[in-house]
Amino acid sequence: MIDLLIFFIGVSLLLYVLMGGSDFGAGILELLPAGPLRDRQKHVINRAMGPVWEANHMWMILIVVILFMGFPMIFTTLMIALHLPMLALLVGIVVRGAAFTFRHYDAIQDATSQRVYTWLFGLSSLWTSFWLGIIAASLNRGIIDPEAREVWQAYFAPWWGAYPLAVGAFIACIYAFLASIYLVGETDDPALRRRFLRLGAVFNLLVVAMGGIVFAASLRERESLATAFLRSPANLIVLGFATALFIALWRLVAQRRTFLTRAVAAGQVALILTGWWLLYAPNAVLTARGPLSFYATAAPPATLRQLVLALLVGSAFIFPSLYFLLRVFKTADGQGLHPPHSERDAKP
Amino acid sequence: MDDLLAARATMGFSLGFHIVFAAVGMTMPFLMSAAHYRYLTRRDPVYLELTRMWMKGVAILFAVGAVSGTVLSFELGLLWPGFMRHAGAIIGMPFSWEGTAFFLEAIAIGLFLYGWKRMPPWWHWFAGLMVGVSGFASGIFVVAANAWMNSPTGFDWVDGAALNVDPVAAMFNRAWLHQSLHMQLAALQAVGFAVGGIHAWLLLRGRAPDLNRKALKIAMLLGAIASLLQPFAGHFAGERVAALQPAKLAAIEGHFTTSTWAPLTLGGIPDAEAREMKGGWKIPGLLSLLAHRDPRAEVIGLDRFPRDEWPPLVVTHVAFQIMVAIGSLLALLGACHLWLRRRAAFPRWYLWTLVGAAPLGLIAMEAGWVVTEVGRQPWIIYGILKTKDAVTPVPGMVYHFWLFLILYLGLAAATAWLLHRQIRAAHSKFGG
Ligand code: HDD
Ligand code: HEM
Ligand code: HEM
Repeated sequence: MIDLLIFFIGVSLLLYVLMGGSDFGAGILELLPAGPLRDRQKHVINRAMGPVWEANHMWMILIVVILFMGFPMIFTTLMIALHLPMLALLVGIVVRGAAFTFRHYDAIQDATSQRVYTWLFGLSSLWTSFWLGIIAASLNRGIIDPEAREVWQAYFAPWWGAYPLAVGAFIACIYAFLASIYLVGETDDPALRRRFLRLGAVFNLLVVAMGGIVFAASLRERESLATAFLRSPANLIVLGFATALFIALWRLVAQRRTFLTRAVAAGQVALILTGWWLLYAPNAVLTARGPLSFYATAAPPATLRQLVLALLVGSAFIFPSLYFLLRVFKTADGQGLHPPHSERDAKP
Repeated sequence: MDDLLAARATMGFSLGFHIVFAAVGMTMPFLMSAAHYRYLTRRDPVYLELTRMWMKGVAILFAVGAVSGTVLSFELGLLWPGFMRHAGAIIGMPFSWEGTAFFLEAIAIGLFLYGWKRMPPWWHWFAGLMVGVSGFASGIFVVAANAWMNSPTGFDWVDGAALNVDPVAAMFNRAWLHQSLHMQLAALQAVGFAVGGIHAWLLLRGRAPDLNRKALKIAMLLGAIASLLQPFAGHFAGERVAALQPAKLAAIEGHFTTSTWAPLTLGGIPDAEAREMKGGWKIPGLLSLLAHRDPRAEVIGLDRFPRDEWPPLVVTHVAFQIMVAIGSLLALLGACHLWLRRRAAFPRWYLWTLVGAAPLGLIAMEAGWVVTEVGRQPWIIYGILKTKDAVTPVPGMVYHFWLFLILYLGLAAATAWLLHRQIRAAHSKFGG
């Protein structure tokens, strides 16, 4: 039962990072100067994200619900110790969702308001990914202390420091990388394709560089990611594999194999995430008072049974409809979504 | 403002904000599907235009509903960890089903909004309908979770911990039926009247008369039927509250002393110090009759509860009066609509009345939630756990409160501005 739930959390997390992450990355890309390509880029991003962002966003809600129903101790511990980063995250989520939708559905698309929406969307995408990284980094530092009373120790120390900041930046780079690779296949416009390819290469390098910085920063931590990593040969293999895939990735890009390129980029990110996950599983959080493992904090069996039932029944509906959604919008041409309500958007 | 008050206020306005969009998200897709159905069967392009117009409203409001709902699912832990520690495992079940329903809803809305030319027409129509169906289902689930806080079952409370948890029994607690019935009707009614009012106003301005008339008829049919059923659902809720939460009923009615032939008070302000109702119009025996179907029945008063377990009296009572007054008025208007429905043109006085009534359903809905939530105080889980013992230990909640208040006010203003532009653009296209 618990294993199944851990599996569901893992899968949701993975899908959130892969699918939601490229939505975040698209926002980050829009912050970068694009010169004359600006409007065309916006149009491609609207078209690519519009139909799917709500669904992508649901993975995160699913994780929250599984946590508070199945592992309430973990949920409440995090919500207390990481109150501030969670708040920052929420502000970002609110602004981002609103700005993206408003930009697309504002009936009067004048330049000023469009610029404001785009700017808000980009900034909040960067902001939210950054805080997601900070939260992820804070889980395993061993600083969260449920019994701390002193304000700094209880509410700031758990997430403050070079290491979480580095992970925040790392996540933002991963998202931007995913988005660039992903968007290459969303357009036939040669100039835009070139732009996304270039951005993909830049962020690829940044991901590697930031990965190094994360490792370095973690050396100064009490519970160090780097030393944990080096102790575990399986993880080194995973990491080596992820790095090796870069070569495959750029060969595929050169051959314009859209689908395979995406799959390889997603595979790389999945490997990084799996490596991180394997490092700590089955512990969800390392606190100053010891680890909080999924096994030790699980809700009573009756609850877990209901949760698993809901997830299984839900999956039986969700996965086919999700597949249908992706098939309707993401196959073949990657072009030509011109619903009758938005001829206006189709103009460059 | 102390931390507890700040947390309560934050929870109150975030929910009060979300519920508006949730109600829209549960109702508008049905209106939209009705118009879409008409278009597909009659091929009248006005219905297509209407479907698209409503669809854009749904898209905007849905997004705001989704982000504000996300905030809520975090806030349960950010504000009330002491509650979630116990309650998570017990009432997570409706939330997990709700999550499933949302997921389907999010997928369906993607298909509907962007699928116009990519799916066979009737599949596309079905996707739009599914947005409404899954939204409606999630509304029922989440209200069942709330009902458990009012009528906690499905566990044994031993030394401050929940044992023998039975999530199924918790979900189907004794308050879920009346609350979700009443809430779902409220959503249909409130949004039906709000949309009807907007189109009535556009008709009065002489804009696109054919389109707005059709729109008004669809929205008001739903609103009128719901508003005629609602007083019965409300009465049912009242009976259940009398049985399950006598302190809440006493606060609703400002009923201080346990008595037979208990009176119903219209208007008036309860005075907790003097322990009596000030002003108002008393109808002897009516409260007993409504609560227990017998004018001689005994109705428990606040005197049976220690002073520190009384809910805030004035807020609860006034909110209840507002809800019932509006409920009665809208029921009348609903009957009026069914009677005028087949006329070739709606009389101007009627259109003006609808414009005036547009916000009333939403106000009643907010008032009803205030009755339910404030009337449960000081308990977060009725009779089990006090709100003050559930609040987060994080200090400085006032800042959290102000941050989110400003964020939400900004979001509300932006949404209103956007909808205004929507209507303006639609009508400059039609002329008139
Ligand atoms: C359009 C909105 C609307 C209208 C017209 C009414 N209500 Fe209502 N009422 C609600 C919307 C609402 C609500 C917001 O949906 C509540 C809050 C929680 C719930 O389940 O429903 C509610 C709660 C609520 C409760 C408390 C339930 C509880 O705490 O368990 C009672 C006793 C009533 N209502 C009674 C009535 C009566 C006698 C009405 C007479 C017409 C009435 N309501 C009209
Ligand atoms: C959407 C309609 C709702 C509205 C407008 C609403 C309104 C409010 C208000 C005004 C309060 C503050 C009461 C006070 O402290 O005096 C409150 C508290 C609370 N509500 Fe609701 N509520 C709604 C639905 C729900 C639902 C569906 C749940 C959960 C399943 C819920 C859970 C809570 C919790 C946990 C608190 C804090 C504890 C408390 O004050 O008792 N509410 N709500
Ligand atoms: C504590 C209380 C609540 C929580 C935690 C909560 C949570 C959520 C979440 C996470 C979403 C976003 C789903 C998405 O991304 O699509 C959402 C949307 C929604 N919620 Fe709530 N909700 C609460 C109260 C309510 C209530 C009281 C109702 C109605 C009775 C309601 C009905 C809906 C509906 C219909 C949606 C769909 C979005 C829309 O149409 O705007 N929720 N809620």
